[in-house]
Amino acid sequence: MQWDKLRRVAKWEVTKNAGGIDRRTLAITAVAVVAMGGVAAIAVAGASPGLNADIYRVGVEESSPYYGVAAADGSFRIQDPNPKAVRRGEQELAFDGDRLLVPPQSGKQAAALSALRDSTESYNDRTLAREDNQTAAFPVSVTVVYQEQGGPNPLDPRGEATGDDGGTDGSSGGGGATDGSGEGTTTDGDGGTGAGDGGGGSSASGDGAAGGGGGANLGNIGARLTGDVQGGTPSDIAPPFPFESLVLAFLYIVPMNFVIQAYGSSMLSERLNRRGELLLVTPASRGDIVGGKTLPYFLGAVGVAAAITAALRFSGVAPSGSAIAVLAIVPIAMLFLAATFCGAMFARSFKELTFVTVTITVSLTSYAFIPAIFTDVTPIALISPLTLVVMDLTGQSVSLSEFAFSTVPPLVTALVLFGLGAGLYREEDMFTQRAIPLKVLDALAGRIKSRKSALKMSAILLPLVVVAELVAVAFLFVLDSVSLNVFGTNQTLAVVIVLGVVAVVEELAKSLHLYAGYAHARYERTLRSAIGLGVLSGLGFFVAEKGLLIARLSNLESLPVGNAALQGATPPSGVPLWVVALLFLFAPLALHSVTAAISSVGAQRGRGAYAAGVGVAVLVHIAYNLTVVVSLA
Amino acid sequence: MPEDRPWYRDPRVVVARRDVASLSREKTIVLALLIQLFVAGFSSFLVVGLTSLYDPGSVSAGEVEMAVTGDARDALLDAAAEQEGADAVAYRNPDAAILAFQERRVDAVLNARYVEAASGDGNRIAVTARVPEGSVRSTLVVVEVRRVLNALERQERFERADSLDTDPVPLPPEASASPYFGFTYTVLVPLLLFLPAFISGSVVVDTITEEIERGTLELLRVAPVSLLDVVDGKALGMVLLAPAQALLWVLLLLVNGIPVSNVPAILLFVTAVAALVVTIGVVLGVAMRRRRPAQLLYSVLTLVVFGAAVLLPEHPATTVAKLAVDSPTLLTYGHVAGGTLLAVAAYAVARRYVADVDADAL
Repeated sequence: MQWDKLRRVAKWEVTKNAGGIDRRTLAITAVAVVAMGGVAAIAVAGASPGLNADIYRVGVEESSPYYGVAAADGSFRIQDPNPKAVRRGEQELAFDGDRLLVPPQSGKQAAALSALRDSTESYNDRTLAREDNQTAAFPVSVTVVYQEQGGPNPLDPRGEATGDDGGTDGSSGGGGATDGSGEGTTTDGDGGTGAGDGGGGSSASGDGAAGGGGGANLGNIGARLTGDVQGGTPSDIAPPFPFESLVLAFLYIVPMNFVIQAYGSSMLSERLNRRGELLLVTPASRGDIVGGKTLPYFLGAVGVAAAITAALRFSGVAPSGSAIAVLAIVPIAMLFLAATFCGAMFARSFKELTFVTVTITVSLTSYAFIPAIFTDVTPIALISPLTLVVMDLTGQSVSLSEFAFSTVPPLVTALVLFGLGAGLYREEDMFTQRAIPLKVLDALAGRIKSRKSALKMSAILLPLVVVAELVAVAFLFVLDSVSLNVFGTNQTLAVVIVLGVVAVVEELAKSLHLYAGYAHARYERTLRSAIGLGVLSGLGFFVAEKGLLIARLSNLESLPVGNAALQGATPPSGVPLWVVALLFLFAPLALHSVTAAISSVGAQRGRGAYAAGVGVAVLVHIAYNLTVVVSLA
Repeated sequence: MPEDRPWYRDPRVVVARRDVASLSREKTIVLALLIQLFVAGFSSFLVVGLTSLYDPGSVSAGEVEMAVTGDARDALLDAAAEQEGADAVAYRNPDAAILAFQERRVDAVLNARYVEAASGDGNRIAVTARVPEGSVRSTLVVVEVRRVLNALERQERFERADSLDTDPVPLPPEASASPYFGFTYTVLVPLLLFLPAFISGSVVVDTITEEIERGTLELLRVAPVSLLDVVDGKALGMVLLAPAQALLWVLLLLVNGIPVSNVPAILLFVTAVAALVVTIGVVLGVAMRRRRPAQLLYSVLTLVVFGAAVLLPEHPATTVAKLAVDSPTLLTYGHVAGGTLLAVAAYAVARRYVADVDADAL
């Protein structure tokens, strides 16, 4: 890759190719964006009815105490009370004074009643705020203190969701306890003296930073979170959930979608009518061409992120926004572009590209977004780099290891995707029309040179596996709190699901490239060769996984969630060394080799047999994982 | 053009069929349905996950154990007694309560004391709530604590009603309602029903710009069809695809126990929205001729149009929600009729524009 060639391609992409986006388009876009801002301003100003306007019909007379409640809440439409209409399903609730005339029958009527209950509560708070005697109006003041609990907790969902073993869980709890106790003692003695404290405390694990005035100042709610409010009443208690920061973080994701749309079009149009041939015959290498065509879009995405951060910072919405937010966006931008690049290399037509782009948008947005919801709650949130953005915007400090943990996996994944896509950036692949799954196989086979490639491919695909597993953990982490409650005693459900997902992802990563190799006749179709390739693939995966473990032990130790993704990677204390060696080195090696060999034997016989082989391998893998988890528990 | 040709041999219908067929050949329609399923599942998952955090009662949560200390503990115990999700135990010794918290025997420690109000008119109950830090469970505990304290506040207000100028409105009886009801009808259903329309518009942009960029429009023009026929056909296929998918979602929701009312009116409205969006796509595709600017403008413009619909007396999403939940008003039907008229008028204008375009210049 040569810098000046790359720059020349980039310049060409901006000037010549971007001619498609002329001044007229830019002007219309600018007008549209301004119009969007105007609409948003009007919507925020409250000039419009909400989305749930008028969905419940309530029959109240003006004398009823609920008349004011229903009139103040947009989701209710006021009618004359008519019990017959309620029975016919034409009215949800009918009141005589404060007496409900007909008990709720349908789900809609019950929903209306509980909506009215919630609405009444906030209505009371609003009217009582105007009372002279505020002590009688708000007789309860609250201070919330967040404090780490000691000791092992069988109900701790953290150990639960991750399929972690008890030993590591205990140590992670110990690590977190230090800052927890420090925080607890400061607010300990002062009982309920400061009502202002109540608000401050409710900003949850926003740590001292939010209370110290460095937090995001996001309108009224933000003010309440940062402790400016005078009365800490029960209604002021806000569960830890950085909603406002998330809305801001969404600002960073939206422009990505426009960038990848333009990028995808540009890449695919190279493949129409053999247009890309022009560039291919120049002395520029594949890397120069792909890098050069990507660079402007990458700079554009990062530039927009920088502009948003600057705007938020200097408008005072999030005064603590800094370069960290922009840097954290880099891996997300890379991931979006890399996935789109692969999509543009695979797609046969614009229509197909549209669907591929939408898929990328939806899945990557949820990857970035869902973990970030739990920013204040758990370190698992760090799986998404967007969490760093949220932390930065709310003025929390980000440590280097947290930054690395959050950004390195997606960054490496993006590079792997670029590598795979670039394998198709050549004449024989670019201008042929094949279905997407076949193109995926082409991309994988393009990297296979000899039998040793099986080893290399498993290692190369590891970042994808890590990201997929981390995302699965983050998703199931939420479900865990549900399943924990729903199933009462059956707490292993989330663990089983995580282990299942891990098995499927790892087995696919180990065997898909083997199948591609067979499909492209790169490997001999004999049983011996199949088993040998399987063992090589398993070995490659194992080595890469352990390499990751070493990297993690050196600087990511502090993160308990690191254990989550690659379960069984850290030996529990109190076990003899030879058992540790056996369990943590040879057993996984044997497992990966055996399962990869099973899939490999299937793969050499064709598609159906490959599917069956992977199925068996996944089952073996799950059985092994369950044994490990159960025996270590 | 001979008049005795059956309707299904009409060039417009042929073009529409060809486009829809190419979607199914590339299996992209399958991908599209999968995406929509994912979006629906994703948003439901978010809501179910989050609601279970904020409303522990919604998923028969395990009870939250609270240790109650301080001289106002009796009032707090009364308040907790009426809450199902909370189990309060009185501790005489605050240290014992803290110890129980540390040993995870209780989820929260509430210290309630009577204190003199700063303004000097009577006393307040000051509560210090100690809750666990750093897990999803702590959110659940905080919500439950808030619920108990709200009950305490109601109870205290009732006792002090003499000092208040206006009595607080009594709460209506509790109902065992699905906490997702409002979300399902106001967000999920409109999302599912509008998504196909927006994808249709995007695909129209693709199919028109692709014919132009690949030069295959030239081949189509050799056949006895005008540019207008081609555009009509492409628009027709995509407009009809949207209500078909919407119907699929309505059936799927029904299977999942979410009945959708007024289906014909909803389908008409979805068709109208799809026609409007497709019209935008057609005009952009023919005017821009290249995918990149056309798609860019398409996504920006539809966002603006959909956002600007806030200025209508009723947002289209609300129209669908009110129809689906069976609370339609005259305004709702007015929107359906208005949307349909607008779609027809907009497409008629777009046709005049396309008819004036010199097809040979494309």
